[in-house]
Amino acid sequence: MDYKKDFPIFKQRPELVYLDNAATSQKPQAVLDSEKNYYERLNSNVHRGAHFLAEEATIAYEGTRQAVADFIGAGKTNEIVFTRNATEGINLVARSYGDEFLNEGDEVLLSKMEHHSNIVPWLQLKERKGIVVKYLDIDDDGQFVFDGSQITSKTKFVSLTGMSNILGSIPNLKPIIEAAHEKGAKVLIDACQLAVHSPIDVQELDVDFLVLSAHKIYGPTGVGVLYGKEELLKQMPPFMGGGEMIQEVFEDHFSPAEIPHKFEAGTPNIAGVVVMKAAIDYISKIGFDQIQKEEHELTEYALEKLKSLPYLSLVGPKTSKNRGSVISFTIKGVHPHDIAEGLSQSNICIRSGQHCGQILMDYCDLSATARISLAFYNTKSDVDKTVKALEEIYQYFN
Amino acid sequence: MDLYAQNILDRYKNPFYKDKKLDAVINHKEANRSCGDKVELSLKIEGDKVTGYAFSGNGCAVSMASADMLGDLIEGMTKEEILKLTKEEIYAMLGIEISIRRSKCALLGLLALQNALLSEPRSWSDYHI
Repeated sequence: MDYKKDFPIFKQRPELVYLDNAATSQKPQAVLDSEKNYYERLNSNVHRGAHFLAEEATIAYEGTRQAVADFIGAGKTNEIVFTRNATEGINLVARSYGDEFLNEGDEVLLSKMEHHSNIVPWLQLKERKGIVVKYLDIDDDGQFVFDGSQITSKTKFVSLTGMSNILGSIPNLKPIIEAAHEKGAKVLIDACQLAVHSPIDVQELDVDFLVLSAHKIYGPTGVGVLYGKEELLKQMPPFMGGGEMIQEVFEDHFSPAEIPHKFEAGTPNIAGVVVMKAAIDYISKIGFDQIQKEEHELTEYALEKLKSLPYLSLVGPKTSKNRGSVISFTIKGVHPHDIAEGLSQSNICIRSGQHCGQILMDYCDLSATARISLAFYNTKSDVDKTVKALEEIYQYFN
Repeated sequence: MDLYAQNILDRYKNPFYKDKKLDAVINHKEANRSCGDKVELSLKIEGDKVTGYAFSGNGCAVSMASADMLGDLIEGMTKEEILKLTKEEIYAMLGIEISIRRSKCALLGLLALQNALLSEPRSWSDYHI
């Protein structure tokens, strides 16, 4: 199947080989159409104004909340909070839940393969409240090193990635979530990378919080999702203050709105939220079975091709088992930045550097890696072109 | 594949000042954490002049070649002259077009050099990049 035809950027730029999907995905026509449709037919502010247009915009906005709830298996729409991005979702939890319920000496357990967005908010909480931040080690397959002993009665919160943005590995979360709950700790899953590759069921996983980002699942930039269990969101104080999030305001006090609006201060990214539904619908139309089949085949193909280059070292799992389509590597004698520059000159977009994962880089004793991240719309020809260019880059430097 | 101009490739592969032993009086390190590049400079100072230059580091061809070529550029310069060096002069020294995405690569050496001589360090924004 030629899925690229669904994505107008490949028509505009026929030579483009886009292998930076972990940074952001391209957008299908349906998403672009939805954006145009919103501004042409629905544009109005939401949850206010007695006129029909505000009502229609509100219905569309809340329609995405339902679509997101269905997408991740949430039981109730009031468990879905829209944010600017996944980073804001984690910050919201660290600020609101963290400040309210965590105290000096309490432990927050992260892992060494977290994105900076799932580290810094907890380090900020450490500065505010004196909590202790601990990290799970990572094994050669990109899995968490976990034997139960890392979660103790001191552990109050566990915040982990559902898929590494550097190693591509998909860790086994279930035993950690169960162990955390046994000790009464809450669990947040950063599903930024996972959500585009795999169906998610928050109830089955029994996570307390989960974040994801619309632009990484073929949707627009500027919209993130925070899922939180109803009883937790209800107990948590508001994150930001302003319009929309209040019920009543007096000169010396206010009362917050119900969830989820309590956490959505100010005019939200209405267009972005509305358009996100088109992205979810698009994924549903293709189906995760098909997406996973295509991506698994591409990942296996890319891994084999990359392994055939003797001067290339894969960073992370060497097989397609328990991983998504993100592959990091280094090349002997060529800095990752030069790899990316060389590929860029061949119309191939990849990412190089530390990928907002300095802790993992230091842990693996790497200064940087090159990273290709495939989407189901990529092709074996994209991989072939990349491998050919990598060979040329190696020749150039050696 | 013709990735960079020959002069950049040459200085990257056969640097003159890299890992040179120097009886230095100032050592200073700067890193571009977004891409993992690191430059550590050693400078010898006599009076108001920088009379010795060496560096060690790890980075892309542009950052390493730039740090190396900087050693030639500042030969005989006073501290004051070095602190006046601009982004444009570094780009001219490199002799290649530097895109926005490579500007930090090109300027990492200069940042390390100028900060080695300053008590109030400069940051990327001082170069308007």
